[in-house]
Amino acid sequence: MTEMTPKERITKLFKKEPIDTMPVFSGQGMVTIQAIEKMGIRFAQVHTSAEYLAQSAMVTAEMFDFDAVIIPYDLCNIPEALGRGVSLYDGAEGILYPTVPHKWDKIEDVQIPEDFLSKGRLPMIDEAFRKLKAESEDGKFAVGAYVLGPFTMAGQIYELDLLLKGLRKDRERVLAFLGQMTDLVIKAAKHYEALGADYISIREMGSGSDLLSPRMWKDMIKPNLARIFDALNCPTVNHICGSTDLIIEMMNECGADAISVDHKNTAAESRKKLGDDVLLFGNFDPYGLLVQGDVSNVEPVIKKCIDDGVDAVWPGCDLWPDVKKENVDAYVQTIRTCGKQASPAVGRI
Amino acid sequence: MATEEVRQEILKALDDGVVEYEEDQVKEAAQRALDEGLNAYDAVMNGLAAGMEKVGKLYDQQEYFVPELLMCADALYIGLDILKPHINTEDLGDKPKGQVVIGTVQGDVHDIGKNIIKLMFEVAGFTVHDLGRDVPLEKFVEEQLRTDSDIVALSAMMTTTMMGMKKVIEMIKEKNPNVAIMLGGAPVTKDTADLFGADGYAETAGNAVQEAIKMISQLRKMQG
Repeated sequence: MTEMTPKERITKLFKKEPIDTMPVFSGQGMVTIQAIEKMGIRFAQVHTSAEYLAQSAMVTAEMFDFDAVIIPYDLCNIPEALGRGVSLYDGAEGILYPTVPHKWDKIEDVQIPEDFLSKGRLPMIDEAFRKLKAESEDGKFAVGAYVLGPFTMAGQIYELDLLLKGLRKDRERVLAFLGQMTDLVIKAAKHYEALGADYISIREMGSGSDLLSPRMWKDMIKPNLARIFDALNCPTVNHICGSTDLIIEMMNECGADAISVDHKNTAAESRKKLGDDVLLFGNFDPYGLLVQGDVSNVEPVIKKCIDDGVDAVWPGCDLWPDVKKENVDAYVQTIRTCGKQASPAVGRI
Repeated sequence: MATEEVRQEILKALDDGVVEYEEDQVKEAAQRALDEGLNAYDAVMNGLAAGMEKVGKLYDQQEYFVPELLMCADALYIGLDILKPHINTEDLGDKPKGQVVIGTVQGDVHDIGKNIIKLMFEVAGFTVHDLGRDVPLEKFVEEQLRTDSDIVALSAMMTTTMMGMKKVIEMIKEKNPNVAIMLGGAPVTKDTADLFGADGYAETAGNAVQEAIKMISQLRKMQG
């Protein structure tokens, strides 16, 4: 069997061409506390330095034998570039992800500067991205990027309860706002594409059926996602967490190269609905399995994901940095072992 | 005093108004309840809260989703604002009317579930001390001690902030073991709540509504 480089493995996976084994990667943050500690820094510091961001991604990937690196780790960088600020919790005990402190409470106040990509921490993230690309020239890992989907982005910059109610009470204005967010997401995603992202995940995290009805999803979420995937040329992933059983077929119709779901999705059923030709990624709970769980639970859970028919075992969310090392090792090892067999959409060489 | 027929008519208007998120209808019916001399507590519990109980079922049946829940809650608030100042303390009798400290823990800016639970506590006659969202952990302890509240309700939407709950529980239980701690939020499971030493939990905004509605339903049964 010819051994592929991680980048080749992932690139071919997205093309549904035969690969040697299932790659270990994700469309969400994959930094671990073991890497942060090895670097001698705190988690809060990693979000503000291109060096720390790039290095923490690489140290994690090398430490655990991941096939890809993906940055950044927080969901606030674009809202911050739009002037909404960022809370980094520098002084807080333990690990806290940054949040957006100041959301707009009127849609008419929302302003998107033409040059938002040059504001806040976005240039720093670009720099980290360039470092990762330079380090991965030999294909030692793929470099992934993600951007929030339009609805989730809207909820990051505008009060979420007003947004949710607005979907019913103020439909036309909210639709126009979501259209504006879609333009923003396309601009950001195309920027990462131009920087050389090997794949981009669009994380429309807050749009599952826990929050929105499938009818509303079809009407107000799907067209915007379709427009985004139509605009991008690099490999793309349509990721939604929470309940997705009712919308899985519509997710596929959005036109991404792959679909990613979390543990609330019944992956075996989704595979039946989608057929064997669609790339399906998922779907374990990273916190439950890698932080809280016993190491003996890891192999059965990862095997079940594979048995249920995913083409790549993806965590349903960002890895929470405070993982148990032995659990991550078991997760990688199980994929390496069980992933040698062909998955529904991707054969093996 | 309103006749039974008028009472039923008003209660139905309040109930339907909440279910159909018709804010104007709720406003008019709440005002009419006062004008007709209806007992305000009766109107809240058997009109507004009864409507919210149906909303919970509609959510459970996946007929309603979170946008509808929020609109129903808005309609309920409009009625509650009108009726609450007219509730006599003797109407509450020996039913729970304690104090609760509520907030979303530091690192989490999601507060939809918290706001719905807050509403339910208010319907039940509690005095609610709302600390808002992204609340530093020690603030919960300080506020509980300051107000001598019976309950501290903590919400976290994200796994990443859930661990903060454990610290708050430890801090509060150390100072006052009798305080009841309720946890809510998407990542919270019964196991987590047990592990953290909490006294109750609700998984999601919808589940929180269900839990709160159960609480109100119990109250209504006790009242009946």
